[in-house]
Amino acid sequence: MAKKKRYFIYRILRTIITAFGVTLITFLILHLTPGDPVKIMLGPYATEENVAALRAKYKLDQPLHIQYISWISNVLKGDFGTSIRYDQPVSELIASRAGPTLVLTGSGLLIAVVFGVLLGVMAALKRNSILDYFSTFQAMFWISMPAFWLGILLLYIFGLRLRLVPIGGMLGITSLILPVLTLGLRQEAWFARPMRAEMLEVLNQDYIKTAKAKGLKYGYVIWKHALRNALIPIITMLALRLPWIIGGSVVVEVVFSWGGLGSLLVNSVLARDYPVVQSILLLMAILVVLANLAADLLYAVIDPRIRTEG
Amino acid sequence: MPSIQQQNVIKGDNIMNNLIEIKDLVVSFETEEGKVEALDGVEFRIEEGTIHGLIGETGCGKSITGMSIMGLLDNNALIENGEIFFKGKDILKYSEKRLQREIRGNEIAMIFQDPASSLNPVFTIKNQMEEVIRMYQKAGKKEIVKRVMEELSRVKLPDVDSLIYKYPHQLSGGMKQRVMIAMMLSCNPSLLIADEPTTALDVSIQAQFLKILNDLKQEMHMTMLYITHNLAVISEICDKLSVMYAGRIVETAPVRTLFKNAQHPYTYKLIHSVLGVESNLEDLEEIPGSVPRLINPPKGCRFHPRCEEAKEICSKEVPKLKKIGKKHFVACHER
Amino acid sequence: MEDKDLSYENVRDEINKLKRSKSSQLSLVWSRFKKNKLALVGFIIVSIVVFIAIFAPVLTPYEPFDTDPFNRLKPPSWEHWVGTDAMGRDVLTRLFYGARIALIIGVLIILFEGAIGILLGIVSGFFGGFVDVIIMWVVDVLRSFPVILLAMAIAGIMGQGIYNVVIALGLVGWTTYARMVRSKILTIKNSDYVEAAYSIGESRFSVVLRYIMPNAIPTAIIMICIMMPTALIASATLSFLGVGVQPPTPSWGSMISAGRDYLIMAPWISTSAGIFIMITVLGFNFIGDGLRDALDPTTKRN
Repeated sequence: MAKKKRYFIYRILRTIITAFGVTLITFLILHLTPGDPVKIMLGPYATEENVAALRAKYKLDQPLHIQYISWISNVLKGDFGTSIRYDQPVSELIASRAGPTLVLTGSGLLIAVVFGVLLGVMAALKRNSILDYFSTFQAMFWISMPAFWLGILLLYIFGLRLRLVPIGGMLGITSLILPVLTLGLRQEAWFARPMRAEMLEVLNQDYIKTAKAKGLKYGYVIWKHALRNALIPIITMLALRLPWIIGGSVVVEVVFSWGGLGSLLVNSVLARDYPVVQSILLLMAILVVLANLAADLLYAVIDPRIRTEG
Repeated sequence: MPSIQQQNVIKGDNIMNNLIEIKDLVVSFETEEGKVEALDGVEFRIEEGTIHGLIGETGCGKSITGMSIMGLLDNNALIENGEIFFKGKDILKYSEKRLQREIRGNEIAMIFQDPASSLNPVFTIKNQMEEVIRMYQKAGKKEIVKRVMEELSRVKLPDVDSLIYKYPHQLSGGMKQRVMIAMMLSCNPSLLIADEPTTALDVSIQAQFLKILNDLKQEMHMTMLYITHNLAVISEICDKLSVMYAGRIVETAPVRTLFKNAQHPYTYKLIHSVLGVESNLEDLEEIPGSVPRLINPPKGCRFHPRCEEAKEICSKEVPKLKKIGKKHFVACHER
Repeated sequence: MEDKDLSYENVRDEINKLKRSKSSQLSLVWSRFKKNKLALVGFIIVSIVVFIAIFAPVLTPYEPFDTDPFNRLKPPSWEHWVGTDAMGRDVLTRLFYGARIALIIGVLIILFEGAIGILLGIVSGFFGGFVDVIIMWVVDVLRSFPVILLAMAIAGIMGQGIYNVVIALGLVGWTTYARMVRSKILTIKNSDYVEAAYSIGESRFSVVLRYIMPNAIPTAIIMICIMMPTALIASATLSFLGVGVQPPTPSWGSMISAGRDYLIMAPWISTSAGIFIMITVLGFNFIGDGLRDALDPTTKRN
């Protein structure tokens, strides 16, 4: 088991190093820009006193590495600073907005994976059939639409013209439909095609011929022997898609006035509320880093080729 | 469905009858470069209780013949003509569903070339053996595990009680191939097709593996189609032999007859250039020319561009398989 | 391992052979590509968009910034085929000029991120060791961020404008190129003949460059087609979010955004811009897909 233990330790160390890089980037974003970060933060109409107060608060008169250390130690303590716009601790703001984002992203991801896997598998089983072409074309169609445009289109058709769903805000389950659909449809496309390729690859394997040669039923061969193998890479795919799903959900939140972290982030960027921008970016990136670690570890647990390695 | 005993009785009654007869089998493949005529009129029959060898160079269509019998050809394959009579019924006409229900496993089973890829990597040996036994036998869990271990011991696998909980990647190539045999034999098939089962194994393991096959042949009175490009193997275990060249059978005869009295120029060269020295067909350089590509095969006898005895007719007419002796068939205009 | 004749002439010969096989491979790719109907459709779409972008001033009698207070939010008519917007500007004219903006930004993004990525990829693949570790670390870190959000934050700080969009997306998006180039270089670097050329006193760098350079232009075109959809969508999204190209510059993203307030009264503003983006991206995706299948036919067949 030594080899596997070493792999786990290596993977965790790498995660820590990557996470460190993530904090560096989020910290530096503000400082790499030309001009005074405080002036950028406070805008052109700031008074001298305000500027001085803020500068002292963020230790901006000190060298960069001191600033970083003081910032990161606060972050590790759960103190993300104070929002300039709302004059409220960033952690509170984030906590109050995280729920809706999780609901939206989670359901979008669920739809994407379920439909993507289903379509991909069916397309592979019925290769070169109408279903296969449909699957390919619909995937191409969705990925050719920017998320915001798809959202607006759905909003126009189902909200404004047909009046089937509310046109925005968070009014229960019906207002969830369009945002989740927008997010899910675009992301589904990214699962359907790799899934099809993966399934075709598996169906071509000798062990599928073995299973058939044994006289096992077709459905059983597909369900047990093919699908089990084809589904393993989905874990990695999920982790790889996560940043895009998060990015997509931010756009979708803006389109549908969904009161989550995404719209908070965009509004904070526009209002130059940098403590909020930094914190949300940091959280999202750390989430992605952790998801990648989880995917790798899960992979090692699920795939017996790695699990039972000496 | 007849019980195992009944099946054995049927097998016993029909000794020396043809278990399977392949007639004029034509198979082509659609590829990017064009249509490949992989099989062009393959014909041979296998008698009950014998091991029939099918030998030829890589790409001559031996594996495709095996896959055609199983109905496991790739999607881009097209069976253009032919009949495969198995126990008197043309199984080539069977639907995929009927093949799976009536033929695969319980009548005809198959072992593939590469043991490394023919077992499912994500299931244990036990799991993959069980699903076969459960198909033919209603029994409790313990009973089935016992059967699994029995079947595995039959192919002389050691430590079966711990082995069954292992995954394929934890086994050596030879062990995997033995598991494959055990798995296929536990279907109790009338015919076992072995597609170059020793090619991927080390030479030392090959001998051991062939011994197991030989023992099984004695014990179980097994009928088998043994596909190979290795002459030494053929001489060790086969009763009869069909020689394949570029998608056609050029000669079929009992092994002894063939080794003593090969009639087709290709078979003759094959045996005399190869036998006793290096018995691998892949090193066959004594015959001038190279194996034709089957996208645009030579007209007439496909061997004629490489044949020293070729006459005019050889490049025009396809020679038919003719009977020239007891159980001896050859496809050559000059014989 | 078999012995190879590693004389200077022979190595030269082999390197040339490699080059030739590479170019015949390209013609094979091209012949496969031509057979792909969808790719052909994509090619036609993209050609039309490029044509529109170049000849926008000739194609319409209006100017993209000409406002007309008496003709605000007019529905499509003979004078204004796609109607007018809230300031009375001709929507079709703005869509045509928008094609210019979109393609220019797209190409600039790809050139910028491509330059960074290819350079860092080459450095990483060549020097290996500590440099490689550091560059790949930066790649890992950047890939942890949702591209669009990091670019949005950067563009938000730098302020609006075409060049800031290009810089923001380029700074974030180069990682794909770096990884691809790096792995390509590692493969070439370890091939026998590069090894051999190195042994007869040529620098590894020059050999690899000689191997890569003959295909630089076709490869660049292929890259642009494959990466264009992402660049177009990302830049439009930035414009939509309000940190990219802003009105009055006629960008498709900001047109959709601006038209959003008039969805009921004047749906043609948003929808027409959306359709333009979609069809353009679809065209590039068709081409990209055809290229991918042509480069690696195994994914389609078998």
